[in-house]
Amino acid sequence: MAQSVNNHSGVALKPFTAEDDANLREGLKRCSAATYEAAAQFRKTGNTEHLPAIVLGIIERYVEPDLRAKLKDADDDLRIIEDLGIDSLTMMEIVVLVEDVLVMTINNEELRHLRTIGDVKTFIECKVRGLPLPKPTKFIPIEQIVAVMPIQPPFLFLGEASVNAHGANAKYKISGQEFFLQGHFKDNPVLPASIMLEALGQLAVLFLLEGQIGEAGKTVDHRTIFFTSCEGVRCHRICRPGDVLSLSIKPKRLKSPLATFEGQIRVGQEKAAIAEEITLTFGFAEEVIALTPSPQVTPAEQPVAISPAPKPAKSAVNA
Amino acid sequence: MRKVYITGVGFITSIGNDAASVSESLRELRHGMVQYPPFQKPEIPVKVAAPIKDFTTDTTDPEDWVFPARYSIKRELLRGMAPHGVYSYCAMLQAVEDAKLTEADYSNTGTGLYAASGGSPFLLGYYLERMRKQGVMRCPPLGVVASISGTVNFNLVSHFKIRGASTGFSSACASSAHALGFAYDEIVLGRQKRMFVVGAEDGNVESILPFAGMRALSLQTDPSSASRPFDVARDGFVGTGGATVLVLESEEEVARRRPKVYAEVAGWGQASDGHNVAISHPDGEGLRVAIENALRQSDIAADEIDYVNAHATSTPIGDLSEVKALKAIFGNSPSRPAISSTKALTGHGLSLAGAMEAGFCALAMKEGFIPGSAHITKLDPACAGLNIIGATLPQRPNVVLSNSSGFGGANVALLFRAG
Repeated sequence: MAQSVNNHSGVALKPFTAEDDANLREGLKRCSAATYEAAAQFRKTGNTEHLPAIVLGIIERYVEPDLRAKLKDADDDLRIIEDLGIDSLTMMEIVVLVEDVLVMTINNEELRHLRTIGDVKTFIECKVRGLPLPKPTKFIPIEQIVAVMPIQPPFLFLGEASVNAHGANAKYKISGQEFFLQGHFKDNPVLPASIMLEALGQLAVLFLLEGQIGEAGKTVDHRTIFFTSCEGVRCHRICRPGDVLSLSIKPKRLKSPLATFEGQIRVGQEKAAIAEEITLTFGFAEEVIALTPSPQVTPAEQPVAISPAPKPAKSAVNA
Repeated sequence: MRKVYITGVGFITSIGNDAASVSESLRELRHGMVQYPPFQKPEIPVKVAAPIKDFTTDTTDPEDWVFPARYSIKRELLRGMAPHGVYSYCAMLQAVEDAKLTEADYSNTGTGLYAASGGSPFLLGYYLERMRKQGVMRCPPLGVVASISGTVNFNLVSHFKIRGASTGFSSACASSAHALGFAYDEIVLGRQKRMFVVGAEDGNVESILPFAGMRALSLQTDPSSASRPFDVARDGFVGTGGATVLVLESEEEVARRRPKVYAEVAGWGQASDGHNVAISHPDGEGLRVAIENALRQSDIAADEIDYVNAHATSTPIGDLSEVKALKAIFGNSPSRPAISSTKALTGHGLSLAGAMEAGFCALAMKEGFIPGSAHITKLDPACAGLNIIGATLPQRPNVVLSNSSGFGGANVALLFRAG
């Protein structure tokens, strides 16, 4: 290609010379052939469809061989450090190679927030296309959860959590010390399904409070968040003390005053519960309005013990 | 005073990549020199070097390097290593195995590591070139730890999970002798019960050839005579690299673990010439004082010494300086110790030299031989009165002196006693 052109993706193309090609081959010599092919195509055409293959191919080259299988059928939630064993120095090596291959510059500040494969793919795509970078995944330790949430122990069912624009994840370990397990059931402690739903609702509250709802300049007032309804709740697995619940919620509709989420709980790889829809009401800080919580909905497929509905001032989410 | 013993050794050297082959080369005076391929260019007047065999480390990408199958080094370790980082890692594995140490034995606060190397001018040059051409942010993230002086201690201390004292020594060709001396002190003072001592160098174009500018390298083309300390026709040293690791342990640890013992480190001394940045004192003043200090500290008389592993690198001025120091020490002694320079076989290992030659002394004392000083056709008349041995002697030396001298006129004398 003789001169710079713009293609459909808006990426400015520089000529791709034989020397560039030689450097590209050298740089990617330890990556799969497909990685080189994708990179060469990207450099020639600017087609951003090639980016995931390039980025995954480069990451794969730096993952210890016995962990590479994880990358093969990875979803975007695969974590770079925890799941792939890539440390911050290896991340730097990846960045230097990505910079070389994609002819771009990435600064350290931008990198600090990239935790998952999905983060990396989105980030590179935005960089290449010159789009604003998405808000990074925020990791929230338990102390901070306690500080921002209207719900407090002993009725808080979130451990460490992470929130990004696409949803939120959290863990909760059933300690066995939860007060309600004494009676649920007699000599047979089982986490109530209502508590599973409560935990998902609490994670949705955290999502709203951590400011990921896309209405610029407005913050949600924690006193305004209440449960309204839920649908399609199914429990698949009995959860007992020692189980670690992996909670995740994703927003389906977000428009003040209603926010609807889908949620699921896993224990390891096993599905424990899903909720097709959990809907909360919320208001912004400057427009606090009184809302009455709707009657609670009971998940049906497992014995449940419903705690009495707390007063709105004390607890925002009931299940 | 607490006694200190050498209980393990590991070698990657130009004359062998394990203790057994090193010992054989020393006995049979088999040298490690070759006409070094990278030097065979018209514009390079130096032709001979003593490279490491069975390792290929001549590219700037460590993942291209080749080493013997018995060593496997993970990429995450390799990326922070220079060529001599790999050599020292392999020598360390040998030393740990030789001393029969478990990880629990060495990964504790009572075990330290002192190391010496000149860094990797080879990698440093490449990284700086890349920085200038590609920009500062395109340098490999571990380029600094792989290339600067200290790279050996950074790598070994972290990879072997050493938790006691660790540092590097920088006195050029006396560096790893200093490391051994101070490691001995750590144990004598009761601060550590075990110390690893490491000397290492790349021994490639970038670490050897700059010495050509000082006119310090031999210009001989024949590998079998280029390094000939004490010969009247000597014309400079032959460069080498590699690594040596020694395990030093306190007498309590030796009593507890019952490892095999190569020798006792009897003591050491050091002194400086205060004379010239690069040229040794013409009368060997600093070295003489260093030897006297070592003798006094070890409570050993000069006439008890039966073997001297000389520093002699095969330079005209340096060898003469050491000869004068040795004459000052042994001049009136009725029993003249056997003297040899094993650099005739290995070449000069710079920061590696002190530890490597201490390792040779350990082998000689354990196995019962005194390596000869090879390649002497006509002894320099200035050596008259010293017992410089051309051939290997089949007897066990009981008290051994090993000398090292470095730039700035730093001198170290190490004394060993049969275990």
